[in-house]
Parts: sequence; C-alpha cells; structure tokens
Amino acid sequence: MPIENMSGPRPDYSRYMDIEKGWVDRRIFADQAIYEQELYQIFARCWLFLAHDSQIPKPGDFITTHMGEDSVIVVRQKDNTVKAFLNSCTHRGNKVCFADAGNSRRFVCNYHGWSFDTAGELTGMHEEYCYEEGDINKADWGLKQVAQIDSYKGLIFATFDETAPSLETFLGDFRWYLDALLDNEEGGTEFVGGTIKSVIGANWKFGVENFIGDALHAGWTHDSGCRAMNNGEPFPPVDMQNSFHASVNGHGWEFGMEGVGDIFLLGRPKVMEYYERIRPQMAKRLGEVRSKIFGSVASASIFPNVSFLPGIHTFRTWNPKGPYELELKTFVIVNKEMAEEIKDDITKGVMCTFGPGGAFEMDDGENWENCTTVNRGVVTRQEKLHYGCGISRKIDHPDMPGTIYRGQYNDSNQRLFYQRWADMMNAQGWDDVPERHKSQLNGRATRDIPSMKKA
Amino acid sequence: MSIVAYFKEEGTAATSVELISEVEQRLYREMRFLDDEEYRKWTDMMTADVHYFMPGIETRYRKDKTDQMNDLSRMAYYNDNLEELGKRIDRLETGTAWSEDPATRYCHIISNIEVETTANPDEVLVYSNFLVYRNRLERDEDTLIGNRKDLWRREDGVLKLARRRILLKQNVLISKNMNVYF
Ligand code: FES
Ligand SMILES: [Fe+2]
Repeated sequence: MPIENMSGPRPDYSRYMDIEKGWVDRRIFADQAIYEQELYQIFARCWLFLAHDSQIPKPGDFITTHMGEDSVIVVRQKDNTVKAFLNSCTHRGNKVCFADAGNSRRFVCNYHGWSFDTAGELTGMHEEYCYEEGDINKADWGLKQVAQIDSYKGLIFATFDETAPSLETFLGDFRWYLDALLDNEEGGTEFVGGTIKSVIGANWKFGVENFIGDALHAGWTHDSGCRAMNNGEPFPPVDMQNSFHASVNGHGWEFGMEGVGDIFLLGRPKVMEYYERIRPQMAKRLGEVRSKIFGSVASASIFPNVSFLPGIHTFRTWNPKGPYELELKTFVIVNKEMAEEIKDDITKGVMCTFGPGGAFEMDDGENWENCTTVNRGVVTRQEKLHYGCGISRKIDHPDMPGTIYRGQYNDSNQRLFYQRWADMMNAQGWDDVPERHKSQLNGRATRDIPSMKKA
Repeated sequence: MSIVAYFKEEGTAATSVELISEVEQRLYREMRFLDDEEYRKWTDMMTADVHYFMPGIETRYRKDKTDQMNDLSRMAYYNDNLEELGKRIDRLETGTAWSEDPATRYCHIISNIEVETTANPDEVLVYSNFLVYRNRLERDEDTLIGNRKDLWRREDGVLKLARRRILLKQNVLISKNMNVYF
C-alpha cells in the first residue's frame, strides 16, 4: 500500500521557485508544513541510501539508519541478500535495536520481550502462553519491511513506495557518472570502518545543494582550508570552458576535467601516485572522459540526500530532523583493491579535510546554519534567493549524458535539484512525476555508448 | 613506546608529589594555551613523534568485540602526527578561517589527573578528564566532555606530550564542527 499522506490539501510547490528566471523561495527551508510534506512526498517515496555492502558483509551483520525520520535496521540475510525494516516493535512501538552496527541473530524488544529474526519476522514472545488461540497470528506482526530494496555497485538503497520505479530507472543516466566513483577499478569500492555523525542546525537541502553544484563557495568559504592543505596557495582558477554541471533526475555532479584537483587537496602524495598508476586502466575501463572527471575538483549529490566528493573520498547523507536541523552521517569510501596503507592514508586525509575537524568542513556548517535560521524572521522568509548563475550556459555535450551546463561555477544543478524537489512534492504518485531527461543508457550497461558519441 | 603498545600499557601509580605536580602544571598550561588560541605554543609542548588521536565511537552492544578505541584504521576525528595537526592550525593563521572570526570563546577544564610511571624512566602515563566549553557569536554553545590517556616523555629535562587518546562521550557529535582541541 502506498504511504498515505495524512496532511491536508497541498499547494502547488512550483510556485516556490522559478527555474527559468533563477530564484527559489526561502520558505522551503523554513516552513514546518512544507517539511512535513517532504517526509511524505520525498523521503517516503524516493530511493534512499541505506548502507554500503561492505558494512554488512556477513549474515546477521546489521546497521541502523534513517529513511527520512523513520528509523530502520538493515540486515544481511543468510542467503546473502539484504533486508531493511522499521526499527519499531509491532507491539507498542519501542525500538528493537539500539546499536549503530553489529551482528545479531535476532532483535529482541526490551519492553515485553517480543523477538524478531534477522528477516524481521516475529518469532517469539516472552510469556507466550498468555496469548490464547486466535489472539495473534505471528506471521502478520513482523517488523514493517521497506517496499523495495536494491543495490547499485555496492550502494544499497531502499524505498517505502512499492510503486516507485526501479533503482536503475531512479538513478537513470546518473549511473554513468556514479561509475567514475564506484567502478573506476576492478573490485569496486568499500567503506572504511566507522561512521561519524554530527548535528548541523541547518535545513537538509543546504547540504545537498552545496555538494550538488556549489563549486563557487569552495574558493571563498574554503580559502583557509585550501591554503592549509596546499602550502599557503589558494584554489587555482577554474577553467570555465572545460568544466561542467551535469544533472539527471535531480541528481547532480559538478566537475572539472583536470583529473587531479581533489586528490591533490587530500594532501596525500601516495594516493596521487596510486591514481596516476591506475589511470590508464581507468581510461580503458570507463573511457577517457570519465577518467578525467574522476579526481578533478568536483562534488556530487544523489537525490534526495546523499553526497560525495569523488577524489576526496568522503561519502555522506544529510538526514532531515525538522526544517531547522540535519544530522550529517559521514563515511570514507575507498577502492577494495587498494593496499591497507593507501586506505589508511585516504582515511587520514578525509578526516583532515572533511571530518568535523577537517580544514574544509569546519567552515561549512556555520554558513548553512545561518542560511537557515535567518528565515525564522517572517519578513526574511518571504524573500527570494538568487539561483541564476550560468542560466544561459546550457549546452549539448556529445560525450556526457544528462542536462549539461558549461562552467563549474553555476547554479544549474541546484536549479534542477529544486525542480525535481517540486516535481516530487506535487506528484500524487510516481506516474505524475515528469520525465525531464530521457534516459540514454538502457539495461544495466553503463559503458560509453555509441549513440552518445554521435549526438 | 609504540602507539599500539601505549594504548594497552599499564603503569605504576606515581608516588613522587613533585612529579605529579609537574605533570599537572603541564596539563594546565596546555589548556591555557588552547583557551588563548596559542596553538603554536601548544604544539611546542609536543614531541616530534606525537600521535594525537580521537576515534569516532559507534554505539555497539556489549557483546560486540569491535575494537573502537585502539584501531587506527577506523574513522577518527583526529589521527594526527605533528605535521597533520600543524595543517589544521595553519588554517587558523590564514586570516580567512571565517568560522573563527569573530573569535570563539573557549574554556578547557581538566580534572581526575592520575600519573603512572612506566618501565622507561623518561615516560609517564597520564589519565585525565576534560570539560571543554565553547561559545561563539550570540548563543552558539557546545560542551564536550571525555577522558584522555596520555604518554608524556622527558626530553632535555622537559616533559613533552608524545601520545594522546581522547574519548569523547558523544555518539552523534552534537555540534556542527570540531574546531577545538583537547
Ligand atoms: S513494545 Fe516491544 S514487546 Fe512490547
Ligand atoms: Fe564546503
């Protein structure tokens, strides 16, 4: 059954922005009613990132996380598949798991001792004799499962909406870009051990939109971080001719084509050597273009709330906690094939740059907090925000799928993120969600395809 | 002492009041430098091979044997040598560290200091607890509390910080960043 939206009539959310003119209404960052609708219309419907395969390698391995504000448990099954279900007992609703991660054969509720197996089925109750014949059919009272679960090259996603299109369709041609991160070497990727979570008093969308396209802030916000990591030098100038915004279904990746900028900022010469060594192989595997996209000064987000920096190896989710707060969960993503020494070097590099105490990350939070909290003022809240940068620079690029804008300094990916946001907020069901970009890649193949070349 | 050996090392309770007092004064001085943002003076109190470590700790069940406190390959707020710590401090000296201007107000409080001697007469283990308070702009406020285990080494007659492991008592860092040292 689709999730029933319990709130009253909804406005036309398109009126909170004008994508052609390039502005967005601040109320989408501040209004409690809009936030509630986001939980229904976006987080209860879209495919959401749950975990990396490598976090739960063995049967019984689990992690807990959130889908919107819903707490879920993600568990590896005996047959190696993965299930995800609500972390809420069907008896009175208590949480059945309090750990971030671990391995378990069952989840036993602390309140009255109902016991659920790793598939989420109700298998036993404390003092079960007190239930008479006919009081309960245990098969009906398992933990609520997500509607669909699937993975793309190591990343496990799920949706609460059984009518949602497949994960492959949801990601669409963005998979072509994702491969530059997830498939740039045989063996794919894994997450380093641990998770670091922090609280930012900002609307969740500010984190997502920053990573989806805001290259512009880097040279200013992170001047201090760049100089710290780069022997006193500021960010090099951006090549506006040869850098791009690419957007697909609200997902977006902004990137240069120099291949090294972000790896360089990690400040780890051995990691740079590593990528220089595998780059010819990468070019064979992914094609010349993507081998240059990977490692460049770049940032990306998957709609609605996943972000990463491909060359810097930070991977994160921005979890909504009301209009005025988000919980940031960060991970470190590395290639499986790397030697331990390289993985450790990357982990240290990530935490020196994009951990909560990192030279770059330290300056982001305060910006987003203040972008959010100023909207407590009802007059401020009614003002527009400017999203017009690069609005006339749309191009057709023969080698790159998606909606492409020239110049890394651009608001294009952000505009298209908010367009997707409005599309999702307005749609009664998935059938109403407009297809803004016709997929060029068919099936699961994401190698360069000839039709793209001749366009 | 190697980093891994130090994590597990147990010493003998120090009996010399003089030594205990010397260590205490070093700890207080460090924290005064941090309150005053005298970061270079602070790192000058460290040995060249210092290891400064603050692991990220997930919430796990008691039966879970994952070693979260001593495994250097897991995610950590700090897992730094002197050069890495120096880069974080370089940022503060650029003049463009916007989230430190206006300045944050810090107060570092140290207590529960215990000193232990080791087999090496130049090295002592030091346990302590911290309460770090910071306040910035109008009402931004964080209180960070935890335990530390240090190794201090005497070099040219002066005790220097050689190892520090910091265990913060928060699972979700209830703050937007960690522009702060312990
Ligand atoms: S609430 Fe879980 S057993 Fe009663
Ligand atoms: Fe940033």
